[in-house]
Amino acid sequence: MSDDTAESESPTRYVESPIIMATVRVVAPFVFTFGLFVMFHGADSSGGGFQGGVIVGTVVLMLGMAFGIQTTREWVGPKLPVVLVGAGVLAFLLIGIGPVLLGGAFLEYHAYGVHHASKYGIELVELAIGLIVSGIVTGLFFVIAAGMRNSGGETA
Amino acid sequence: MSPREIAILVLSAGGVFFAVVAAIGLIRLPDIYTRTHSVSKSETFGAVLALAAVALTFGNDLSTLKTVLLLVFMFITNPTAAHAIVRAAADQGIEPWTTEDEES
Repeated sequence: MSDDTAESESPTRYVESPIIMATVRVVAPFVFTFGLFVMFHGADSSGGGFQGGVIVGTVVLMLGMAFGIQTTREWVGPKLPVVLVGAGVLAFLLIGIGPVLLGGAFLEYHAYGVHHASKYGIELVELAIGLIVSGIVTGLFFVIAAGMRNSGGETA
Repeated sequence: MSPREIAILVLSAGGVFFAVVAAIGLIRLPDIYTRTHSVSKSETFGAVLALAAVALTFGNDLSTLKTVLLLVFMFITNPTAAHAIVRAAADQGIEPWTTEDEES
């Protein structure tokens, strides 16, 4: 039992490194912007929702490494990753089903009647995919970190 | 050869040299502390020199700006990542390699 409490206390005595914190403070906004940049370039150049979503999710990983995983977990909260994944799936479904309601096929963007409809449609789908991927990366990071802390017990 | 080509050659040769130094250090040195000590510095410098050569090659172009941004962020993040890895290793209680350990 005493061994158990020592195990659960070990992550709380995490001491922040000023070097890592300063670097993450400087770099995080650029990484976030770069992730959005990659997401929005999915239609006409290299990049896309998956890569951009991973880069945006990496911001949370960096915050976790700089400020401690437990602090970041409390700051992000348990609902945000799930909300991100759900919102992304809903947005994708809405974009996909919209043309069906307007008399086209699934994901047939021309049914919207907007200029450059397929371009905007693809960008919105990439954005939705990015939401899903960033939520999943964030959630997986917290799940993996929790498994390491309990070392074989039930996950948090 | 124009001066620009000579500069590109010198920069990329320097980048290759420091990358080779980093690789040798990674293979030859005994434990994580000495390996990060050798790799973090020389690998950062090698990457920065190679990216500087790339930026010079692009010339007057938007790609140059992107390469210079990449260079700056490589210069900031690469040593920080090495620092984070070594800190994590020290937190885990990994003992530094010493010659007394080897003899005993």
